[in-house]
Amino acid sequence: MNPTLNTWTWVIWLSSTLVVIWSTRNPIYLGLILLTLICVWLSAATRINKQYPDSRSTIPFSPVRISVFIIFFSAIFNGLISRFGNTPLFYLPEWIPFLGGPVTLEGLAFGVINGMVLSGILIAFMTVNLTLPARSLIRLIPRAFYPLAVVTSIAVTFLPNTTRQVDEIRESQAIRGHRVRGLKDWLPLIMPLLIGGLERAMGLAETMTARGFAGDEGKPLWTRSRVGLVFGLLFLLTGWLFQLIPALQVVGIITSSFGLCLIFYTLWTVGKRVQRSHYRRETWTYLDMFVIIGCALILSIYLLPFLWLDKSSIAYNPYPIITLPQFDILIALASFMLVIPAIKKSNSNSDLHNQIRSDD
Amino acid sequence: MPSSETSKTNFSSILIYTLSTFIGLMGLLYPLIFPNLMQADFSAQPRTAEMPLMLTLLLAICVIVILYEVQGSSVDAKFVALLGLLVSINAALRFLEVAIPGPGGFSPIFFLIVITGYVFGGRFGFLIGSLTIFVSALVTGGVGPWLPSQMFAAGWAGMSASLCKPVVRAFGNKGRIGEVFILASFGAFWGILYGMVLNLWSWPFISGSAVQFWQPGISWIDTLKRYLVYYLVTSLVWDLARAIGNFIFIMLFGAATLKALRRFKRKFSFQYFPAQSIEMVEDSQN
Repeated sequence: MNPTLNTWTWVIWLSSTLVVIWSTRNPIYLGLILLTLICVWLSAATRINKQYPDSRSTIPFSPVRISVFIIFFSAIFNGLISRFGNTPLFYLPEWIPFLGGPVTLEGLAFGVINGMVLSGILIAFMTVNLTLPARSLIRLIPRAFYPLAVVTSIAVTFLPNTTRQVDEIRESQAIRGHRVRGLKDWLPLIMPLLIGGLERAMGLAETMTARGFAGDEGKPLWTRSRVGLVFGLLFLLTGWLFQLIPALQVVGIITSSFGLCLIFYTLWTVGKRVQRSHYRRETWTYLDMFVIIGCALILSIYLLPFLWLDKSSIAYNPYPIITLPQFDILIALASFMLVIPAIKKSNSNSDLHNQIRSDD
Repeated sequence: MPSSETSKTNFSSILIYTLSTFIGLMGLLYPLIFPNLMQADFSAQPRTAEMPLMLTLLLAICVIVILYEVQGSSVDAKFVALLGLLVSINAALRFLEVAIPGPGGFSPIFFLIVITGYVFGGRFGFLIGSLTIFVSALVTGGVGPWLPSQMFAAGWAGMSASLCKPVVRAFGNKGRIGEVFILASFGAFWGILYGMVLNLWSWPFISGSAVQFWQPGISWIDTLKRYLVYYLVTSLVWDLARAIGNFIFIMLFGAATLKALRRFKRKFSFQYFPAQSIEMVEDSQN
């Protein structure tokens, strides 16, 4: 699969989408965001279908179907278990445990909003999962974790072989008359798989050692990094506890942010000591820049306190009595900024760039 | 390394494990620990939107820090290769699960997480647990906000499996069916605990019937009661299938797997020396 944008641009887009979805409960804005996310997903799926016509099996769910399913069941679930709200639609008999009582319009509306939030989160992740290949995600693992990045690379690389081996073992056992009827019949499948894997691990370890992968053996972790992590965690914990007390929320945010920065700084410093080589660097294009600007715009509209913008419409609560949600045209327009990744790059340079990357 | 340096390293290591676990647990258990801290009308507060994001971030940081500490100092090729291949096998078991679906929340991955954690130690167990979840999420498109809490719980399932060693020793069961029974019971315990931990991530943000859902300001006993009712209604059957599945799976395949892993553990316990150092050793012996 061929991502059209830089991996970091997708990460920024995903993070912005999640922050925006979690920031609002207004069903109108959530609906607009869902619409833009579906557009981005469809654009990614169409591109993949064009590039790899036989890849339909890798696109398992339609986001529209998934949204309808989640919103419907969330509404039913919340409607049945919620007893809040002043507009009862009907009453369930009291003898039904946990469910008996009034089913309210507000309960259903709250369920719909929850369903929209959940659908938005799922579609955003589905889009990134669909667009970015596993190798791009592995590249995101910070340098400080290079042994784990190697482990993940090995696991992802060997996974197709391992699944192929599962099929081969199943076929071999089937030829011998073995049929999988219950759990007990898994033993002749699992043991050859496990022992084969362990044998390959032995061979791989020898190959890696022969090629010089043992440089850090026995080398202790940097003591300063541990101190940085311990203090970072302490600040994070203290800040988070402060945030649970309404009067100390600002102090809490500052303290936990400091802890977070200390942890990231420590890991960054450790990572600097690790040399990373690049077979081919990812490039940045104008489209990446537009996506990042769009994300910055939508985040500022949703999160920053502008005096000229009334942001009361971002919050919405159907309880205790349902009302029509407020609407602000500027916030609605900002919500469409998330659609930028759906724009197709048409110039030949980007096609060439894609071609190079698909050969990567 | 000098002994004072070693003790400092061990102390800071223990501190990192303890703090990360403590923060992760506080993040999940705060509705029980601090019932009075939040404002009364929680569902109407904007913090309803922020808290899931914060909890995801908090758990992700805990997992990141523990992973950094667990990956540790002695990262040799054998460790990396063995871990990579076992994670790959465990992720493939998830595919096998899709081909031959089990009941409810049953997943064969816990079988290998518990057994490898028991045989190779807590550090290896944590890595197997968290990386299995991570790798299978990468290849199945399952990356989402739920991932840190899944990695945290599965990692701890693997890490705590090493606690079975003293129990097995105490009963003198090593190499007997009793050893497999203890591991199977441990797997069943984590089958339930895994579901309970994952539910805690979302439970405080769901609103509904007063007998099942969290309400700020009530005592921790009432909170616990409500959580248990919620768990009973929504998750127990699902998690029970996972617990029973883990128990049966380990009982059926545990003995053979333990034997194979122990054999390979012995095979893997060798050291590579550069040719020059071998000559030096031989010279010193002569």
